Amino acid sequence: MELGIQPDYMKILKLDDEECRRRLEFFELTPDDFQRLTSLRAFAERWTQEITEGLYELLMKHPESRSFFPDEATLARVKRLQNAYFLHLFSGTYDLAYVRDRLRVGSAHERIGMPPKLYLGAYRRYLALIHEKLRNHFKGNETEAVKAIETIRKIIFFDMAIAIDTYIAAYLETMTRHQAAIRELSTPVIKVYDRILLLPIVGTVDTQRANQIMETVLVQVVEQQAKVIIIDIAGVPVVDTKVADHILQTTAAVQLLGAQTVLTGISAAVARTVVQLGVELTRVETRAKLSEGIEVALSIIGKKISSRKNADAESED
Amino acid sequence: MPSGGIPILRIGHTLLATIQLDLHDTVVDAFQSDVLEEMERTGADGLIIDISALESVDSYVARMLSNTGKMAKLMGAETVIVGMRPAVAATLVRMGYFMTGIRTALSLEEGLEIQASRSKDGRRSEIP
Amino acid sequence: MSFSANSGVVAESWEIRIEKEADIIAVRQLVRELTREHKFDQFVAAALTTAASELSRNVWVHAKSGVARIGVLRGERIGLELSFVDKGPGIADLQKALAGGYSTANSLGLGLSGTKRLVDEFHIETETGLGTTIVIRKWKKDF
Repeated sequence: MELGIQPDYMKILKLDDEECRRRLEFFELTPDDFQRLTSLRAFAERWTQEITEGLYELLMKHPESRSFFPDEATLARVKRLQNAYFLHLFSGTYDLAYVRDRLRVGSAHERIGMPPKLYLGAYRRYLALIHEKLRNHFKGNETEAVKAIETIRKIIFFDMAIAIDTYIAAYLETMTRHQAAIRELSTPVIKVYDRILLLPIVGTVDTQRANQIMETVLVQVVEQQAKVIIIDIAGVPVVDTKVADHILQTTAAVQLLGAQTVLTGISAAVARTVVQLGVELTRVETRAKLSEGIEVALSIIGKKISSRKNADAESED
Repeated sequence: MPSGGIPILRIGHTLLATIQLDLHDTVVDAFQSDVLEEMERTGADGLIIDISALESVDSYVARMLSNTGKMAKLMGAETVIVGMRPAVAATLVRMGYFMTGIRTALSLEEGLEIQASRSKDGRRSEIP
Repeated sequence: MSFSANSGVVAESWEIRIEKEADIIAVRQLVRELTREHKFDQFVAAALTTAASELSRNVWVHAKSGVARIGVLRGERIGLELSFVDKGPGIADLQKALAGGYSTANSLGLGLSGTKRLVDEFHIETETGLGTTIVIRKWKKDF
């Protein structure tokens, strides 16, 4: 597990004072609850170890969860952390710092790969254990017991929400990184010859992708000082007005720069659709086959492909 | 010969103007009149405007470039705009602004090539 | 790829009065500076700078005087919010101006439809004889 910089989950989840306040309100945590929790501090200190043991009894019983605690040292360490976690529930202050701490705990579990089902299952057990201890603690005073259980439930659910959020934030992070990689792979501009570029477009082209394609094309044309760029659309499944417009916009921009576009991979279906839709592709060189497009591009730069027989006969150097 | 800050050089039969600052009315007016006067004085029949220093081109500048091209054309000169940046081309087409009647090239070298390869139908005189 | 729409609070802002042509350049330069400082890519930067230029020029050409407010939006992503307020003649046929098509090749076009295509959000309020307020927003790309 690399010691990279952890993404800022507080930022990704937009957890600021305002959001914190909103959550406390939604979970109906009131100053009464905070007071009750503080007053139960002694209770927590008395029972935390037993409750933690009860929790890990469940976790060690099932092979899936057991795998996260491979040795005694790890087990001892997490039990210590669990105790600290429990006591923190009764700290009395439930502000941004509290949330940040819970986030840290949640993201630690996400990082080691513990799936949400185990995490939530553990919380369930935890709540049951606390419930039982509270009943005993308030023996005889059913009203107080009920209030205490309700308060604990609120704060535990509050914590669980944050725990789930860390999983979501982590997945979002991963997806964003994957998306960036996919985007990079999706616009491969290839130099096929001096001053001739080729861009094969494969897959559906939505507006966002079309914009990204245009920008990549323009940057490459300038960077490579290309005279021609061949854009092949044989791999684009649907060419409707929107897609055609995007392609046109790109060819117009390329022309503005002072270069030319050759559009290839025009299938019979696309040719029909384009004309029927009234899209004007007359100012762009178009061909059905990529090979023809390459020949057109070469002629634009004053070159052509000739067969070897003749070349040998002319005895070039 | 400076024209409110836009340097104009002569390369053979071609004038080269490099735009490097933010353009506004007085600069544009001075530039256009200086270019045309220089064209008249030297008999240059080509103009290259280098906009590689411009990170953005709004409709005002685009119009100015088009108009300068039209003015030069009236005097028998062809204009080539060179060095347009990718972001400038993208912004112009996205705005829907197409610079009509103006030729463009990727680089100064290409611009000069274009000017050189135009048929000169006898207007050429001995200019060092 | 996020659960909420773009939003943000204007964290820092500047105000530039538009009263002479040089002010258009001042607005443009400030916007350019901000795009550099916050590392916007060249395409978003050019769009913002151009839009700022277009809208400032509109204020100067049509209303002769007005004010531009430039703010940095800090939310999920960083963006810029530009607003242009004038007490000019207002736009008589807003629908027509927005439908545009192309910004005109002649000097008196408003170029609103073109500018609109450059930004993520475009809000306009105008009343003949009272003036015009335009607010635009554009965010940094998140990839």
